[in-house]
Amino acid sequence: MATSEAAGDAFEQLPAALLATIMTKLDVSSIRSLASTCTTLRSCASQILHFLPNFHLLDVALSINLLRPLLPPNPYLSSLKVDCSKLDDSSIEDLIRPSLHDLSLHNCSDFSGKLLSQIGGQCKDLRSLYLGCVADKRGRAIHISNLEELLRGCTELKTLSLMFDISLFPRYNFAQAWSSASENLTSLEIGYVSSVMVTELLSPNVGPNQPPDLLRPSILPSLQRLCLSVDYITDTMVETISKGLINLTHLDLRDAPIIEPRVSFDLTNASLQQINQHGKLKHLSLVRSQEFLITYFRRVNDLGILLMADRCSSMESICLGGFCRVTDSGFKTILHSCSTLYKLRVSHGMLLTNLVFLDISATSLSLTHVSLRWCNLLRNQAVISLASNLDLRVLDLRDCRNLGDEALQAISTLHKLKILLLDGTDITDAGLTYLRERVIGSLVSLSIRGCKRLTDKCISALFDPSSKQELQELDLSNLPNLSDNGIFSLAKNRVPILELRMRQCPLIGDISVMALASMQVDDYRSHGSSLRVLDLYNCGGITTLSFRWLKKPYFPRLRWLGVTGSLNRDMVDALARSRPFLHVAGHGEELGTDHWDGLYMHDNEELDELEQWLLEGEDESDDEEMEDVQNNGEMVE
Amino acid sequence: MITLRSSDGETFDIDEVVAVEMQTIKHMMEDGCAESVIPVLNVTGKILAKVIDFCKKHVESAKAEELKAWDANFIKVNQATLYDLIMAANYLDCKSLLDLTCQTVADMIKGKSPEEIRGIFNIKNDFTPEEEEEIRRANQWAFE
Repeated sequence: MATSEAAGDAFEQLPAALLATIMTKLDVSSIRSLASTCTTLRSCASQILHFLPNFHLLDVALSINLLRPLLPPNPYLSSLKVDCSKLDDSSIEDLIRPSLHDLSLHNCSDFSGKLLSQIGGQCKDLRSLYLGCVADKRGRAIHISNLEELLRGCTELKTLSLMFDISLFPRYNFAQAWSSASENLTSLEIGYVSSVMVTELLSPNVGPNQPPDLLRPSILPSLQRLCLSVDYITDTMVETISKGLINLTHLDLRDAPIIEPRVSFDLTNASLQQINQHGKLKHLSLVRSQEFLITYFRRVNDLGILLMADRCSSMESICLGGFCRVTDSGFKTILHSCSTLYKLRVSHGMLLTNLVFLDISATSLSLTHVSLRWCNLLRNQAVISLASNLDLRVLDLRDCRNLGDEALQAISTLHKLKILLLDGTDITDAGLTYLRERVIGSLVSLSIRGCKRLTDKCISALFDPSSKQELQELDLSNLPNLSDNGIFSLAKNRVPILELRMRQCPLIGDISVMALASMQVDDYRSHGSSLRVLDLYNCGGITTLSFRWLKKPYFPRLRWLGVTGSLNRDMVDALARSRPFLHVAGHGEELGTDHWDGLYMHDNEELDELEQWLLEGEDESDDEEMEDVQNNGEMVE
Repeated sequence: MITLRSSDGETFDIDEVVAVEMQTIKHMMEDGCAESVIPVLNVTGKILAKVIDFCKKHVESAKAEELKAWDANFIKVNQATLYDLIMAANYLDCKSLLDLTCQTVADMIKGKSPEEIRGIFNIKNDFTPEEEEEIRRANQWAFE
């Protein structure tokens, strides 16, 4: 690689146009860092802000004072993604521009509905819109008229994600608001809506004063992708969706009941038969979450799955969460009917056993993503059978308590594996040595949370200082026998991880923090550690001494830190103040986004770098290309 | 066959199909200069040889993965050569080479603090103490 030998001052002497070309390949943070090196680059960087086409800044929330100078008038700005946690309505003018094609605003809790109206008013060319948490904060108002103005104004909209609660809008004109939505809308995602509202929205509805044969223009005619979080997934809603959306290729429904659903308000075998009426469905996800209540799709059994599989032979991805009555027959039918299936996800498959996968090698299936969570009847033999799918990239076997080292032996043959999740399984240190030879070299994420039999030896079992490491995320939480020695060994191996979680490890203490702080990953960083996320919540040996090692200049890249807040309130507050761009979580909340479950829900949108890279396979396409494809509502997988 | 002559007098014979990878040469050929030797004034022989290698390889092989691996190896040069390649790619208007070289430099910058960047590229800090303070305050969030 290039070295800094007698290059003199050659870099700043490159013509301004070439420096600008280089800068357009950088993210905003790197541009600002480059701008802080010398006067030439500072002026070059400030010029480039006037013609930069993409401005993406999601990992840090800036106040308007810091953000405004970075968003000068720029007629070429077409893609804007910002974390708006520190912004409010007064920032709308700086953010919203007519040149925008792609707009993504996260954490808009302090904004009011005016944000939607303004977007509708000014961004006529918008193709893709993501709005998170709008008006979540108490006292911020959002009205149905704001939504109407948004839908009416953005006539070119193809992708729309309204990631907040819209169930509180009045029902009677909710459906009407959508009638003015862009006809080109191909992808719609809603953070929370009631199933009744969805049913009414998509039903051909005849008002009381209209002649009965009046044809109402079909609603959302081009919609291909629908992703909803509702109160109850009901037969009526599923049937209405299946009938009404003729171009549907991707259906993702998730519910979280607060009371046990009544028979008229639940999913049964009847509506499963209606799924994929128009034959275009490729991706289906039906998940009942246990967020408020332990509950399942009790009214669906093998018959429903059989009837569904019958009509879904061209499916590529199936996700079934909470189907506790479906047995091996049902799951096996899916595997045998859907010959182009490459993603299978089942959670709470209480009756799922090894038999489902027994003859999987006889099918022509080439699964790339398999997730079998909380499937307690699963044994090692199932993993051995699954391992015949050599293209596997993601394997999630969390909470399958009866899986052990034999499963790891089978996994060692999977050379394309990128994500491996083994939380709560019965593996030992010896089992992990199977991964050392090939798999660990290509793995990007590994989670062994709660594998109680593991000890410090698991680190040396996995890592070997001479081998090439690509591991970025490691979860060692809930390991009662993991001590500072293990972490010391991790630091010595110079594994360049970005995210390390060690929650609730009683033997982890200050020495681990010191070891990680002094970890040197490459020659340019003096105070080691590429860590962006570090979770030390409730680690037994952490004392106030650790806080000295969490201050700058240690952990220069750290963005998320989990500690036990009650350890010393003052020190935690002082740390948070001295590092204003560090999110400090003191109450045990999980850090960052829960991206494992995100992989369940969101196949294609708001991908973080890891997910994007996984879906693109080995060849890199730049962000712009990915945006364009998303905007066209097509699936690139 | 087209003949190119570098600034230090070295000549290179290349196929037309390779020559048109460099838009500047392509235009010169279209303007009728293809009969005699085409002088490439701003590029030395050493660098021109490398540019020609690059263009040849990209014309020959079509497989993305193979090209990517070859490119990764091709770009393992010292900084001075890297800058020369950027300038040459710009002058000769060879988009794929310009993309590759600029991306390589960008990758060296990504995620680094100003001190680290100055170290890598030997950049002299010519801010006054007041300017330094101001720019640090405004951009601290970027490299914390």
